Amino acid sequence: MTQIVKLHAEKRTSGGTGAARGLRRGGQVPAVIYGRGREPTALALDGVELGRLLEKIHPENTIVELAVGGDVVRTLIREIQRHPVRPGIVHVDFYEIHAGEKIRVEVPIHCVGIPDGVRNQGGTLDQVIRDVPIEVLPADIPDKVELDVTALTIGKSLHVSDLSIPSARILLDGALTVCTVAAPRIEEVTAPVAAEGVPAEGEAAATTTAAATPEEPKEPELIRKRKPAEEEEEESK
Amino acid sequence: MLAPKRVKFRKQMKGRMRGVATRGQTVAFGHFGLQALEAGWVTSRQIEAARVAMTRSMKRGGKLWIRLFPDKPITKKPAETRMGKGKGNPEGWVCPVKVGRMMFEIEGIEVAAAREALALASAKLPIHSRFVVREG
Repeated sequence: MTQIVKLHAEKRTSGGTGAARGLRRGGQVPAVIYGRGREPTALALDGVELGRLLEKIHPENTIVELAVGGDVVRTLIREIQRHPVRPGIVHVDFYEIHAGEKIRVEVPIHCVGIPDGVRNQGGTLDQVIRDVPIEVLPADIPDKVELDVTALTIGKSLHVSDLSIPSARILLDGALTVCTVAAPRIEEVTAPVAAEGVPAEGEAAATTTAAATPEEPKEPELIRKRKPAEEEEEESK
Repeated sequence: MLAPKRVKFRKQMKGRMRGVATRGQTVAFGHFGLQALEAGWVTSRQIEAARVAMTRSMKRGGKLWIRLFPDKPITKKPAETRMGKGKGNPEGWVCPVKVGRMMFEIEGIEVAAAREALALASAKLPIHSRFVVREG
């Protein structure tokens, strides 16, 4: 059931971009903790410790016991900001949770088995929804939701209504597709050469060029009407 | 080749591609992706060449997502024309790509096959890119 991990944090007093960049240069990661009935508090985490922790857990549905000074606060990671290119984490948001209060978490969906359409018909399993948002008490957060896909044939799908999570309410429309088996792609065939007789040199050259270069798109239609000045300009060219 | 069906204006200004991509920078559909490490214009021909290379490499397996659309018209003046007399005629379409943009995504094949297919696609593009795997 609920996975609980521990992490150390320090309070920080300096805020703003410059201070946050200074922290990152020193190997730390700026963070914030907030929740019902508490003021948002700026924190600093150890970058290496956080990186190792995130390799082991699924951050959306793991409870993090955050040791801030002498206190231990149960939290969920609400957001992890990453740089699109550079490695490392830019910022982390922690949300304080309370034992008797239902919370919204995202749980990963694991497809179990190899679908019939993939094994026997050469299709591809396409998982459309990878995480499902649920409303649940902190003690009942599941690690993952398993979905048996072995019976799926080509063109068939499983929906949100097929998921079963005990003691949780799924916050998605039941009709949404979770996964489907797509038909195998048809291999591209090059344009056929002239059927009758041996083509003339010019013809052969023309056919290969047509096959090699795809059709050049024509100029698209304008949504607005052309101004008379533009039409004159076109004619002069 | 990819091109818009209808446009509001026939010609556009060049524009700049400063900074990093703030949208479309994560693997959102497939399991593997090709991420841009440089900014640049990717033309509709280059996208088509990359698609063909990947499709041939993947043979019948897998699923491919193209997360670029060339919606920016590029103009060119005819050869041996004197300067002036207005902007040239539309000659093609490009997609401005910023650093970090996820350009292609693949699912349903092994990591080695995906790496090979995306390397072939990368060779067709005018910018440096890297192979990435979905997190989690």
